[in-house]
Amino acid sequence: MEVLTDFVTDDYLREFEVKYNDEIANSNGKPNDETVFQYAWCLTRSRLLSDVKKGVMFLEQLLASCKTDQAHKRDYLYYLAVGYTRMKDFTVARKYIKSLLQLEPGNRQAQELEKAIKSEMETEALKGAAMAGGGLLAAGALVALGMALLKKK
Amino acid sequence: MSSGPYNYSYIFKYIIIGDMGVGKSCLLHQFTEKKFMADCPHTIGVEFGTRIIEVSGQKIKLQIWDTAGQERFRAVTRSYYRGAAGALIIYDITRRSTYNHLSSWLTDARNLTNPNTVIFLIGNKSDLDAQRDVTYDEAKKFADENGLKFVEASAKTGENVEEAFLETAKKIYESIQDGSLDLNAAESGVQKKPTANGARTLSSENAEGRNPSSCSC
Ligand SMILES: Nc1nc2c(ncn2[C@@H]2O[C@H](COP(=O)(O)OP(=O)(O)OP(=O)(O)O)[C@@H](O)[C@H]2O)c(=O)[nH]1
Ligand SMILES: [Mg+2]
Repeated sequence: MEVLTDFVTDDYLREFEVKYNDEIANSNGKPNDETVFQYAWCLTRSRLLSDVKKGVMFLEQLLASCKTDQAHKRDYLYYLAVGYTRMKDFTVARKYIKSLLQLEPGNRQAQELEKAIKSEMETEALKGAAMAGGGLLAAGALVALGMALLKKK
Repeated sequence: MSSGPYNYSYIFKYIIIGDMGVGKSCLLHQFTEKKFMADCPHTIGVEFGTRIIEVSGQKIKLQIWDTAGQERFRAVTRSYYRGAAGALIIYDITRRSTYNHLSSWLTDARNLTNPNTVIFLIGNKSDLDAQRDVTYDEAKKFADENGLKFVEASAKTGENVEEAFLETAKKIYESIQDGSLDLNAAESGVQKKPTANGARTLSSENAEGRNPSSCSC
């Protein structure tokens, strides 16, 4: 799924970082939620794991302080699920996508992400098995992995 | 593994932009799945779709980014514009405000893509003619003045949906053929055959037309 694999370019990441830092400097250290969200979203699309981690940390702060606005909650939950999947922390990713589906059970975009997380998780598990086990087991896991990848296409 | 539906010569990147609720996601879904979604939630950030089409005997994979129209996403969805070979700008023929915002979408598209990007204007929801708020002639004039291709379409009935996506690809392909689009430029939005099977040399031969029988299957 492309939303899990595309990368932001450095100049955009820097643009939102600058905006975030400017607001911290100019508003008693309290940036606008929208600015934080934009920066966090870009961070989750970075190639660097440390950026992705920082992104989900911001999103978790936004989520914690978001009491009533369901539309914004939806955005945070979705990109938290994306971020944690990119970090390969599938347990937490699934927790967030499930909360989103509880808010909006029929949301197709969320359903697709849930499916993609599941298949990513299976692929990783098979890769792990292939590396851990030797000989036959590894060969079997590799075949299964190949099949899983083919199915994903 | 390199045969069948996964075999294509080019990848074109598209973006779909326009106000919220004009039917961007429904148009994409109609194009990729041939189905209409009657009840579609607002897009969260961006969605993605893909389909392989054929233009002049060449198989082309379209990679389509469907952006959220809600204002709070707009700053970030702009980062998806770069490197688009095609941009579809959508308005809703039953809501004048979505038409009035076109110049702002067009400015973004022009500023953030490259000069060869094909921009296609679509007036969506043509099935709702009784509630029409923008005439065909007015929009056609706007499109002509700005050098855009234009159709009215309906994601519900499917009218002109296929045509708009294919026409855009045709125009992109023409600019590859006549040399105005530089395939080596990083942001052309066009990639020659991917190297998933590692057959780089073979693929460039195919693209040069040394294997004309490959399209007759
Ligand atoms: N009658 C009719 N309704 C349509 C058509 N296209 C879309 N709709 C409806 O319009 C609403 C909005 O469609 P979407 O595709 O979600 O709009 P969007 O442009 O993706 O909106 P955002 O994701 O918020 O930017 C949905 O309820 C659709 O069912 C159409 O061609 N005809
Ligand atoms: Mg949408």
